Amino acid sequence: MAHLDGKVAIVTGAGRGIGREVAKGLAAEGAKVIVNDLGCDVDGSGSSHEPADRVVAEITAAGGQAVVNYDDMSLIANGERLVQQAVDTYGTLDLLVTSAGVLYDKMIWDMSENDFNRVINNNLRAAFVPVKFASILFRQERKGRLVFMVSDAGLGAVGRSNYAGATEGIIGLSRTCARDLGRYGVTSNAISPLVRTRLFPGDVAAQIRAAGVMTAEDQAGIAPRSPWTPWEGPGDPDDPGNVAPLVTYLCTDEAANINGQLFGLRGGTIYLYNYPTVRRSIHRWGGRFPVDELDYVMPQTMLVGIEDPAPRRELVRR
Amino acid sequence: MGYLDGKVAVVTGSGRGIARGIALLMAEEGAKVVVNDYGVNVDGTEPRSEIAEEVVAEIRSKGGTAVASADSVADWDGSRRIIETAVKNFGKIDILCNVAGILRDRMVFNMSEEEWDAVIATHLKGNMFCTRHAAPYMVKQRWGRILNFSSGSGYGSSGQANYAAGKEGITGFTYAVGRELGPFGITVNVINPGGTTRMTQSVPTQAREIRAARGIVPGGGGGAAAARPAAAAAPQQRQAPAEGAPTPGDPNNNAPIIVWLCTEAGGAVNGQRIGSSGWQVTFTDPRRVIRSISKPGRWTVDDLIRLVPASLTQGIPNVAPPVEPQAAPAAQAARS
Repeated sequence: MAHLDGKVAIVTGAGRGIGREVAKGLAAEGAKVIVNDLGCDVDGSGSSHEPADRVVAEITAAGGQAVVNYDDMSLIANGERLVQQAVDTYGTLDLLVTSAGVLYDKMIWDMSENDFNRVINNNLRAAFVPVKFASILFRQERKGRLVFMVSDAGLGAVGRSNYAGATEGIIGLSRTCARDLGRYGVTSNAISPLVRTRLFPGDVAAQIRAAGVMTAEDQAGIAPRSPWTPWEGPGDPDDPGNVAPLVTYLCTDEAANINGQLFGLRGGTIYLYNYPTVRRSIHRWGGRFPVDELDYVMPQTMLVGIEDPAPRRELVRR
Repeated sequence: MGYLDGKVAVVTGSGRGIARGIALLMAEEGAKVVVNDYGVNVDGTEPRSEIAEEVVAEIRSKGGTAVASADSVADWDGSRRIIETAVKNFGKIDILCNVAGILRDRMVFNMSEEEWDAVIATHLKGNMFCTRHAAPYMVKQRWGRILNFSSGSGYGSSGQANYAAGKEGITGFTYAVGRELGPFGITVNVINPGGTTRMTQSVPTQAREIRAARGIVPGGGGGAAAARPAAAAAPQQRQAPAEGAPTPGDPNNNAPIIVWLCTEAGGAVNGQRIGSSGWQVTFTDPRRVIRSISKPGRWTVDDLIRLVPASLTQGIPNVAPPVEPQAAPAAQAARS
């Protein structure tokens, strides 16, 4: 008996990378899957039926059930159609995983209006659109699971201010869906995986170094595996397939009380993020701090040992 | 002699509330200020330009220097004109405070496309657009201060899917831009402000009480290590304050720390999330890894069913636990 027998799932961005592995993982556990993928390029241009078709063929060949959907999830009408397709084809909807996203890197001073818009629309809006319609059904039927794919680029990756804004926005959306829908028996969680994908190709360790958003301390806590132990089981530590078991777990009945959380995954390490916590504070009784008091107090209290992620560099004249 | 003598500042949304207090104090400290306000209602409708003009008149009556701008931050050309207003009138831009914002609260299952778009456009895109247009000037002069206003609602706030996404998005955007602009002597920080404003008053107290009774944890809820938003930690007002006495809910409480962050000494702070509610100042860490489980291979679903509740999520509550449906009042009456 598989863990998701009888469940119906939608996976957006399921044509490639993490979405594809998640769709196959859910299907292998007995879920019937709507494979949604626009088939666009990394920068959001173009479209193709090929990636989604291939994943449906792979699932069917492995004995699973899946149908295809090629719609652009940044458009509101397509969200309604997608959920309607799940209901028309399989009678209901139980699980929604959003994994669709594009990347378009530029430094802030070079960004055009369209550079912001294409990333916000294809990432953040494309998460909201299917969720809006799935949540109507979830509330009526008092069940449902939402899992959002996000990224650690949201911690401040250079050249990715548009993507960082969109991906942290999805975390805010997930935390709010958890509070709007929890009482109806729905859970909403997000996962920030460190794996090899089309958007972030190549060695994950090199990616982390290049992005520079994780401190040495952060990285030590999430080492992919001990270098002296061989990797067990399928794939390798950077394989996007490693995300599938965690998504599947969050979709099981056993995970009914995990709600409003953010997980991360690297290799064989699965970790939990906190909600941002206050690290330091100064208080004053009887009124606000005046500016000159702050000028005196701040350097001696709040600023002690504070790190600047990008200190000023002096201009070198040649 | 003020802390901001010779500086030029743009404060968006400064017709009212928190931003107005910032514009007034910046002018008092010697900055030349662009008072930008689209002059709309809380929901973003019916723009009118008098709101910004009134604040400009107030600054001028106290001997300060200011000009009004009534453009919308959510519009690409409008946001460019806001920054150009500073450059045309005062020759440069040193300080940008992105405060402008609107509310369109609705449960996610009832939220319309228009409600989502309007809030994302004003908060997230408005922040991005103004920052984008100010950055080239600041890079060229190798000095700048950008303050982006977020909210504890980004930690999850029932009925605010659009606002939470916009505000938490601003945080991610700020962390990225802080790293891009830091080397040029520009600091970019994100502020979680506090204060009783036109916007916070639009959320009925009753709604908050209902949510609390249902066990919905407002922002946070990640177990023992979870943060409560800075606003929740503000000292509570036990009795009505005397006339003119300071209150923790005064939106003007935010202004001094904002002004200080724009001074030379404040330049030591970059890429931080700063809380300024009540009579306190806080620094908030970005989200951090607090627990992990590890094995030298791919996990199986059975592993996770067995291990996760006993390790990763042990003691961490469901932020909004399921509630049994209540019978309709008519059915209850029939039973009794």
